[in-house]
Order: sequence, then structure tokens, then C-alpha cells
Amino acid sequence: MKTTKRRDFIKNLARGAVLAGIAGVCGMLGLRKNKYQCSGRCGTCKPANGGVCPLDSAAGSGFVWQLDPEKCTQCGRCATHCVLAPSAVKCFHSYSICGYCDLCGGYLRPDAKERNTGAENQLCPTAAIRRKFIEDPYYQYTIDEELCIGCGKCVRGCSTFGNGSLYLQVKHNLCVNCNECAIARACPSDAFRRVPASEPYLLKSNQEKRIS
Amino acid sequence: MSSTTKSWIWFAVLLTLIAGAGIYVGTNRRAEPGKSFSYSVDDYRQVDPALLRYAEADGLRPAIKKLSALAVAPDGKIYVAGENAIEIFPDRTVRPVDGTPVCIAVDDDGTVFAGLRDHIEVVSKDGKSTAWPSPGEKACLTSVAVDDRYVYAADAGSRRVWRYGKAGGAPFEIGAKDEANGVRGFYIPSPFFDLAIGTDGSLWVVNPGYHALENYSPEGRLISSWQNSSFGIQGFSGCCNPANFALMPDGSFVTAEKGLPRVKIHNLDGSLRCVVAAPDQFDNGVTGLDVAADRQGRVYVLDPARGVVRIFEEKK
Repeated sequence: MKTTKRRDFIKNLARGAVLAGIAGVCGMLGLRKNKYQCSGRCGTCKPANGGVCPLDSAAGSGFVWQLDPEKCTQCGRCATHCVLAPSAVKCFHSYSICGYCDLCGGYLRPDAKERNTGAENQLCPTAAIRRKFIEDPYYQYTIDEELCIGCGKCVRGCSTFGNGSLYLQVKHNLCVNCNECAIARACPSDAFRRVPASEPYLLKSNQEKRIS
Repeated sequence: MSSTTKSWIWFAVLLTLIAGAGIYVGTNRRAEPGKSFSYSVDDYRQVDPALLRYAEADGLRPAIKKLSALAVAPDGKIYVAGENAIEIFPDRTVRPVDGTPVCIAVDDDGTVFAGLRDHIEVVSKDGKSTAWPSPGEKACLTSVAVDDRYVYAADAGSRRVWRYGKAGGAPFEIGAKDEANGVRGFYIPSPFFDLAIGTDGSLWVVNPGYHALENYSPEGRLISSWQNSSFGIQGFSGCCNPANFALMPDGSFVTAEKGLPRVKIHNLDGSLRCVVAAPDQFDNGVTGLDVAADRQGRVYVLDPARGVVRIFEEKK
């Protein structure tokens, strides 16, 4: 029987381990779900929109991350999964959709005892929404982006009880435009997608037109 | 222990370390959002079964598309408006309309007053249409009602109710702010502004921003009002609720809400009597629920998401 020297055996072992490691990493990458498959809906591949598919372009070459407010389910992961702290996702407020209500579902907790600015009555965990009396019965709500962490609680309240004027967007003065956005990977509703940097926000413009 | 066995043990340890590192790198270790960041509205979708006093019966499925409005005629026939047409049940006859009515009302003789965005279209029984002039540049008509003397139109754009004669003509204005006489004006955050005529000929109008129903004489004098704001089932919440309502034969109000879709009956003083349909009985995100009631107390709910008119009867 042919004997193998310990040194050779360890060498072979190391080679085998490296190969196994490479195979494991390749397998892991291959098994990972590719979330950014063409849905045929973004339309940026059309000549009128530039003709370049965002899936083919490297990060930073004209495309940025954005989240579609129509798909967003306000799961809260925008607040916890961004590589930045606080998150680059912030609440947007569309004033033309807002009803300027006193009983605001985005500002007040449903069990609020009073309709005022008391911390115990506010839905936002960081008090990032400012409420200002305009005239009876109108109140204006503004977002303090320094305080907003993008948790989406106000968005859920506003869309459930109100007009849906509050919604989340990636702020591009903050976003570092990661190659693979950590929030996009964790987003349960695939609301994140690459959009042309020339039109970096997905605003509720259709709804604004409809209401106003 | 032989050297071969030792080598195999080393091999197993190395392999385990590599697999462990792979799992560590590949696993998402970020914490899920904590309690402070989660907000469930499920509790508000649940309704106490004791409050649900209506059961759903077989509904109506119109042939027309994009259902937009519903009315019960004095003779008990059901009129459903949709894309360029009005369908009448049980006959299933269809009257064409030039446009999609936002709201409709039916007179004793079967004449339909259809509110299009900026004007009223009168559609006679034989299908002839006459367009009345628009009440103004800002007009956004959301509801019409007719009795034996007048035709009323709710205009969310100019925040007024317009009272017309049966033949049209220049409208009389109701609802301008008049604090001396207790008229605070209509506060309409989004275009949901409904009205109905009571059995005494007075006019009930929703003041949606206040979550209120206000009762006016045909001359525009405020007679009474009630309001009921609440996130809970007992009142109305958010912007522009109740989005639609109708009067029951006993004068109570059957209301439909947007946002959290639910259909309820409120007593004359505004207190909650019962629930006709809970949020869970509607598809997520449904909008444009319209309601009507017939003389037997049946409640008709237009469900545009499903393209049907749903009928609810009081449980025996």
C-alpha cells in the first residue's frame, strides 16, 4: 500500500478546503435570489427614457435607489437595515394630498386622549412630525428630517385613516448609493428599485393630480 | 491514534469552520424593528360580532364597467352608474351617458340626474340627455339628490351645495360661511362630499373634515348637526369621512367610510347603532364605496373593486 506523507496529506487537505470554500461561496451566490430581475415596468430601456437598463449599469453610473410608495408596506426595515444611522429613508409629505386634519392618523396615536402635541399622543417614536395650527380646523404637518428615522409608522397611520399624503422616499443627499442596497435586500414587498438619477424620486404625482 | 485519523479530524474541523464562516457571512443578523417602530391597525379592522347585525345576501353584478355610483329609485329599482352608462335592475336595461357619472339621483318618473365632474346631465326615461350649465369653474360634483321640488348637487370644488329647480336654471347657494347663523362652512379635504334629502324635505349634508352631518332647510338655514370623530368604530376618522351616506327608512344614517372601509348605521343623534359590513369584508385598498337603502331597510353597497352591488339585510 502506498503511504502518504503527513506534509503531502495536509497540503492536499488545504487545497481541498480552499476548493470547498470557493464552491461554497459560488453556491451561496448562485442560490441567492436575484431581486432585481426585469419587471418590464420601469420603462427606462425605452429610447425616450434613455434606453439604458438600470440592471445593466454599475452603481453610480446614472442610477440610484428609490422606493415605490405604492408597493411599500411600512414594515419598518428602512429604519433598521440601512447602512447609515439614522437611515437615508425619510418621510415625505405631499401637501397637495394632505387634508390638514385635526384628527390626523399620521400624527396622533389611535388611542390618543387629546388632540395636541403632547408626546404621549404622538405616533412618531422620535417626534419628527411638527403640528402647527393654521386656522380652524386646519393643521399643518411638517417633517423634521433630522429626527425622522424612516420607520413608516406615520405612513401607515396616514394611509389607513387619511389621504396617504405621508410616504417614504430615499433622500439622495444622504444615500450613499450602495451597489447592493441593504434595505432593498430586506424589503418584503420589493418596493426598492433603481431609477435614473435624473428623476431620483417616485412621487405620488398621479394621486396629487387626481385629488387637486 | 494513527496519523491518518488525526488528519481526518483536522480535515473535519477545517470543513466545519469554513461552513460556519459561510453561514455567518450569509445570514442576515440585523434585528427586526422593535415594538416602538411597529404599528398594527389590525385591531381597528376587527369588529365586535355583537355589533354586526346585517348579513350579506346575493348581490347584483352589473354588465357595465368601472362602477362609480348607486341610487335606489322611489319605485325600488336599483340604478348603477359606470363607464358611459347607467344600468337599471332588475330590468337590466342600460341608458347611455356621455361620460362616467360620479353620482346619480332618480326622480319619481325615472328621470336620472347624473352628476358628472363639472355639471349635471339629465337622462330621461327614453334615453335623451340634457346637460345643465356648470355651476362654476371650480365645480367638482360629488353627490346629487332630488325630491318633488328641487335637485341638490354637492360641489366639493367650491365647497357649496347648489339647489336647482327641476328644470335647471341658476342655482341657489347653500353652505357659505355664516358664523352669525351657525354655518361654519364646508371643510372638504378631499373630494368626498355627500348629501341626501330627509323625509321632511330637509337636506342632510356631510361636513367631512369635521366628521359631521348637518341638516339644512331648502333655504340654506342650519337646522341641526352632529359630529362624531374617533379612530374607533363608534365614530369617523381621518380625512373626509363619512365618504358616503344614505338615509334609512326610519331616518337613521347608513354610512360608508374610506381609508378603513366599513359600513355602519348611526342613530339620529350620531351614536353608533350597528355595523353593516366590517373592514375585513372588503378588499384591501378599496375606494369609492357608495351606499343606498330601500324602503325595506336593505342596504346596498357599491363595491367598485369587485364590480358588484352588495346587498345586506338585517339579521332576523
